[in-house]
Amino acid sequence: MLLHLTDLSDEPLQGQIVRQTRAKILAGELAAGADLPSIRKLAKEQHISVITVQRAYEALENEGLIHSRRGKGYFVTELSDETRKKMARERFQEILEPGIRAAKAEGLHKEEIKKVIANILEEI
Amino acid sequence: MEKAFQYKDMIKTFPGFKLGPLNLELEPGTVLGLIGPNGAGKTTSIQCLVGLLRADSGEMRIFSRPNDLNRPAWKRDIGYVGDISVFYERWTGLQNLRFLSQFYPNWSDEKAAELANRFQLPLDKRAKDLSTGNRVKLSLVSALAHSPRLLLLDEPTSGIDPVVRTEVLDVLFEVLETGERSIFYTTHILPEINRLADELAFIDEGQIWFRTPKEDLNDRWRKITFRLAEENIALECIVSHRKEGNDHQVISSDFETTLRQLQELGAENVQDIRMSIEEIAVQILKGGKGVKFYVDS
Repeated sequence: MLLHLTDLSDEPLQGQIVRQTRAKILAGELAAGADLPSIRKLAKEQHISVITVQRAYEALENEGLIHSRRGKGYFVTELSDETRKKMARERFQEILEPGIRAAKAEGLHKEEIKKVIANILEEI
Repeated sequence: MEKAFQYKDMIKTFPGFKLGPLNLELEPGTVLGLIGPNGAGKTTSIQCLVGLLRADSGEMRIFSRPNDLNRPAWKRDIGYVGDISVFYERWTGLQNLRFLSQFYPNWSDEKAAELANRFQLPLDKRAKDLSTGNRVKLSLVSALAHSPRLLLLDEPTSGIDPVVRTEVLDVLFEVLETGERSIFYTTHILPEINRLADELAFIDEGQIWFRTPKEDLNDRWRKITFRLAEENIALECIVSHRKEGNDHQVISSDFETTLRQLQELGAENVQDIRMSIEEIAVQILKGGKGVKFYVDS
């Protein structure tokens, strides 16, 4: 599994693994039923401690994105389109909220914020 | 499951310094990083375990076998790297390795050669002619060539350039892959610990006063900024506090507790930022022995 992990980010390694794996799953790059590398294998590949990978996998399991089969490892959970969209929406809200708060704190009004969002949507 | 090592009430005293009573265990398959200021007792702890120093009292075991120098079978299970290297100075690296290989049933000449190559270690030079860094590399090769179950590494990358240091870490991550081997590691180079360690123990003035899974540190510590007009704010779990007018910046070792308290106090513009393991470790070391970090500890 190709991950871009960096020590230079504010985000801890565990968080980076969770975020990037979640993104791959929601985007369909990791298909339902696909197996993830074992905890030890990923730890060795990425040069991180076992506990970091373990906690990341536990977090993904708690989110319902992966599940473990005893003795067999971790697998991507089958997600309905509806669940996928719901998760993507929740993620988007999480990302957007601090940005909007910051914009408001810097003096932008609701209408101005909406305009910026609309502009971005036009461009992308 | 038997522990990789155990210290039980181990005490070692020197004039002016007492290490212990030390009680410490390592679960097999894990990496424990020992962090502490110079003179805290890191090297003494490992040297007592390895039998280079005789403890005054207490017990130490390696995979359940006491570290009795008269019955050295336990030595086959360990690989040690530290500032004391036991080489015959007039022999070449290769001769030293050949000599050592007799003592370890699991020794592999191929492995030794491969490691020497990866670490860029010349084996045809006499030990006494090797630079400090190269001596450390020779120690590493000797420690790793027999694939021991437990590695005891006391500042194993000191004097080693960044390229070879990366190779050393590569090799250590390979060692860990099967899950059957364990590492006890002291270092000042915190970025190594950041990646390698499962758990961290902090030692100061001869006592281990704090041990934690590394990820717990990431989960609990934050820098928090907020605005509050009150004088004399008493917050729990705060290890540092800076203030400019009504703007505050604190470092919290249990950010959920702190955020709750800030909410009760009516603080505004509350923002929390994550900290790197290095930043957290520095705060822990600055705080010193006896500081209580978590509300429930």
